[in-house]
Amino acid sequence: MGTETAQTISDLERGMKMLEYLEKGPWPSYVTELKKTKYPLEPYAEGLARKYTPWLSGSFRVRYVFSGILARRSRDGKFVEIHFRTYAPAGRFYSTSYLRKVVEVAKRYGIGLMEFGGNTGALVLNMIAEKADEAVDAIRTIMGSDVGGSGDTFREFYACPGPALCEFALYDTLHAMDYIRSHPAFYRYLNTQMFPYKIKFKFSGCPMDCATANSRADFALIGTWVGAPEIDQGLFRKMVEEGKINPKEIVNSCPSKAITWNEEKKELNIDGSKCLKAMNCIRKAFPAIRPGKNRKIALLVGAHVQGHFGPKLARAVALLDSVEEVVPFATELINKYMDLAPRRHRIGDMIIRRGFKVISEVADKTLPNKPKGTPSSHLRISIGTNLTDDERKMYENWAKQVMSEYFGGGSGSR
Amino acid sequence: MMLMSLSITPEPRDRMNKRLPVPFSTQLPEVIRSNYGRWIDRKFHGNGIIEHVSETGDKVFTVKVGLPSNSRVSVDTLEKFIEIADKYGLGVVRATRGMNIEFITDSLDKALKIKEEVEKLGFPVGGWGTSLWHITSCTAYLTCTTAVVDAPSITQVLYNNLKPYFTGEEKLPAKLMVFVAGCTNVCGGTLAGDIVIVGHYGQAPKPDPERIKFCLPSSTEALKKAVPDVAAVCPVGAIKVFGKPDGSVGIEVDERKCIACGRCKNVCDYFDWDPTKIGVAIFVGGKTSNTGTGPRLPYKVIPWLPVNPPEYREIVAAVKKIIDVWRREAQPGERLGDYIDRISIDEFMSKVGVPRTRHNRCEEASWNFGVRQFITYM
Repeated sequence: MGTETAQTISDLERGMKMLEYLEKGPWPSYVTELKKTKYPLEPYAEGLARKYTPWLSGSFRVRYVFSGILARRSRDGKFVEIHFRTYAPAGRFYSTSYLRKVVEVAKRYGIGLMEFGGNTGALVLNMIAEKADEAVDAIRTIMGSDVGGSGDTFREFYACPGPALCEFALYDTLHAMDYIRSHPAFYRYLNTQMFPYKIKFKFSGCPMDCATANSRADFALIGTWVGAPEIDQGLFRKMVEEGKINPKEIVNSCPSKAITWNEEKKELNIDGSKCLKAMNCIRKAFPAIRPGKNRKIALLVGAHVQGHFGPKLARAVALLDSVEEVVPFATELINKYMDLAPRRHRIGDMIIRRGFKVISEVADKTLPNKPKGTPSSHLRISIGTNLTDDERKMYENWAKQVMSEYFGGGSGSR
Repeated sequence: MMLMSLSITPEPRDRMNKRLPVPFSTQLPEVIRSNYGRWIDRKFHGNGIIEHVSETGDKVFTVKVGLPSNSRVSVDTLEKFIEIADKYGLGVVRATRGMNIEFITDSLDKALKIKEEVEKLGFPVGGWGTSLWHITSCTAYLTCTTAVVDAPSITQVLYNNLKPYFTGEEKLPAKLMVFVAGCTNVCGGTLAGDIVIVGHYGQAPKPDPERIKFCLPSSTEALKKAVPDVAAVCPVGAIKVFGKPDGSVGIEVDERKCIACGRCKNVCDYFDWDPTKIGVAIFVGGKTSNTGTGPRLPYKVIPWLPVNPPEYREIVAAVKKIIDVWRREAQPGERLGDYIDRISIDEFMSKVGVPRTRHNRCEEASWNFGVRQFITYM
């Protein structure tokens, strides 16, 4: 009887109990936020209990809008979920006056829920389907933005805060992002689906790559410099005397052994021809050690996680003096991409199918006098895994062992 | 009047041209505009407050605040943040790449007041320096059609367990960036993270026999014109589409070839799989920054773990194990990937103790990516 009673608990009930659990704990809960909105918890709860996403692709159209709106329907057909990706100001700085307009739109046309820092770079608003048409114009007129960045087009651009807040910014990432996003050569594609797959530009102000351009950008623009970092010997000496930095530690932190310390002269030397721009010494001894003055923007291409041939890091193309210089290269490469690449292949996949010459030909033509990089070869990593039952059991047994280590012996009973 | 005019849509054709957002400069307070490109130093006050120092002598303070999974915020909460930003801040906030919110103000007193106010609302301050910077989550079951596991709930549980590393009560050797993705598309951020948890099928998905026809050409004749996406996207050629004698189109998945990458599911909803076999892989040691030994893709250290909501104990225990191995033995400032580089991936795997199979052989790789590819000219 008890067993039979237990078996009558529905997936929905199990799922809702799971959501209760997820509201507990020291970290602010997304479930608590969802409950403050009109988000439909039922399909989500059921999906959680079944270990199966409740959503299927929906068909939804707003006139003259060809990117930026995503629609879902639940498997049982009872629920609809619409969300808008909206363009963000470069650096994702939001004034409170702008956010008040966001709130107004989200309240009037949406369910009161958003993804504040969406991974695409967009500010994502969850909307009411019946009001979607009007909502697009509200976003354009009230918020001063637009929907966009979904499908086979330019996804939302992303720039690190750059010179707005960071002392390491080697070029103006925010103006660069606005320049590229509004440039006619790229702007004309924003409301189309003309590419074989998506294209992303990402702008990092220094080699620390806070925009993750090295691993996610079809076009990565990373601030760097030529030659050795700049050393203020007086300040460095002073920081050594004050015990703030240890010269031996600075020397040891250099992966290419470009740094030497002259104990007698109390002088640090960095061999510019060996410097890898690792930034280790700069971060330890800033501002006594700063990036060099000969600033460049490194252009790399072809990075993404999920393409036809798996994850890729960006391959080096050229060192530019300004962001404007990328326009002819990118225009030409995008044309070639549209001509040559099969559907669902990224630019990085095109490189694998056709060789890096597909890039170097464009670079030789559009950036003839720029220093070229030596692109590294592609690493092969498979993300998914197709296991046998025995293999699954091995990992499951290891997991039990680690669980008992961290949760105590009671992990077996639940 | 605004409402009245909006009830009649303005010229809809105008939508053909996207309206790019108001310029970023209009979002910035005067002190940031006047010190744009002139910042020369920073100081940390705890691990969530940074003092930015300009060559002009001006200072601003940023306060990094953790948000719920997938940075899901209700308008109710956002209104409270706006109030705090106006009252104690400079009327501007920033969304970080790692799905946090950063308040900006002009004195340490105000920064500490912001910290106090957001903590009253239940939001922690932290996440800079040698700490857990973020756990970034995709939307998964909240809105996604291709999610295999639910990233927001995994993220919530991980954050609950790892919060002391964000707020600073527990120390780490260097910054830690964690990403959680519901499927192999890894929309949760980047694969090049310190610890990346990726949901996947753990099996070959099967076409749903009743509905797969919606993803196939309607006839053998149509099939001759083009290979349908559902087969074309398979990177290992495991999906065969063929004409049948009765003129219809069939599909077959070669399970031995399948690598469970999920690309077929991306282009066609009508694949099915056994939910008891799904799991997560855990990738370790990725990095996009040029610090240490440079940018790298991670190693697939754990190819599969079961997913058991809502506690996800297997995942929590595995992540803690990885962090503890690193914490015990890394040098100060040494990122997880740099630590693995130093001791070797084989040594790291034996310390973690995870079984080695054909799925996680993890051969050592030599890395030379990012701006290091320009070394000839630098």
